Amino acid sequence: MTKPQIKIVNCTTGEEIVRDANDAEIAQIEQNAAKALAEKAEAKLKEKEKAALLDKLGITVEEAALLLS
Amino acid sequence: MAKQTSTTGQVLTAAQMTSLQQTAMLGGAASAKTASYTLVAADAGTSITMSNASATTITVNTALFAAGDTVQITNLGAGVCTITAGTATVSTASSLALAQYESGTLYFTSTSASIFNKGAGAAATSGGMTLISTTTLTGASITLSSIPQTYNDLRLVIRDFYPATDNQTLQMTFNGDTGANYTFVRTRSTSSAVSENAGGTNFPFNDRITQQDGTDSNARAIVNIYDYATALDQVADGIFVYFDNASVTSVVTFGLTYFPSTSAAITSITINVNSGNLGGGTALLYGVK
Repeated sequence: MTKPQIKIVNCTTGEEIVRDANDAEIAQIEQNAAKALAEKAEAKLKEKEKAALLDKLGITVEEAALLLS
Repeated sequence: MAKQTSTTGQVLTAAQMTSLQQTAMLGGAASAKTASYTLVAADAGTSITMSNASATTITVNTALFAAGDTVQITNLGAGVCTITAGTATVSTASSLALAQYESGTLYFTSTSASIFNKGAGAAATSGGMTLISTTTLTGASITLSSIPQTYNDLRLVIRDFYPATDNQTLQMTFNGDTGANYTFVRTRSTSSAVSENAGGTNFPFNDRITQQDGTDSNARAIVNIYDYATALDQVADGIFVYFDNASVTSVVTFGLTYFPSTSAAITSITINVNSGNLGGGTALLYGVK
């Protein structure tokens, strides 16, 4: 499997290094991806709960916004 | 005229003498380049011009030049031309990036080391900006390292950014720090305005950025980082703008503090997305005097 590529630009010399991510960087990338997935799932769940609550109250999103305005 | 290796009894023509005089006075006919170029031995003592609307590089390699050799480089194009260390080292007191109509001289101190003396006209006066670095946003992350500590403030400009896959968040960290040391206030004008006061392990410009589909306006951002060279808690602010063809639009204004346990100057900035790769765009880093 191709490893993620890391680019490092030395702003003093102009040197650019493109290399494979090391183990620590891969772990960080995987951690970020897992966090992103969890956030996405949480947002989906929230949407679902919101829809269920609106359904229970028998009102639309627009009506709920009007109530809160 | 390129540097000549003279031999005993050699006779120079009038044209050669004129050309040598011009070169000695840092003039002479320039070798015109229109694409990124790697210097060759015959470039010693000559003048090179670059002309391209997009960013280009002049690469410097080792074992081609001798101590005392010089190469003059002038950028005629609208795209920034950056002097880049290949296998040789290139040091400078200012910047290796030449904006349009800027020029500088490469002076070799050995076969493997050179100094780039950028023309005085390029030096930023008080309040002026100098382009420190320009780089394409590709791969898993970009780190702008060894940021010169000689300016008052930094300005990071991100142009035409898009991720490699849909619905990603553009993120930024300082000094390779992924600890929970970032606090920000972010006001997002989308279909309904959202104001957030949050913290985290990075600064997220905006989420749900889609990949380029030909009609989207890619993301742009400006980040001002104040007193970055002082070992204090760091403060930045800026704006992020993104219009998606699929009607998800964002204009984000933000204030950000970077608050590590031990205060430090900012020496590097890392840009990435929360998952996957950067798809494209350009990051330009300016130093503000």
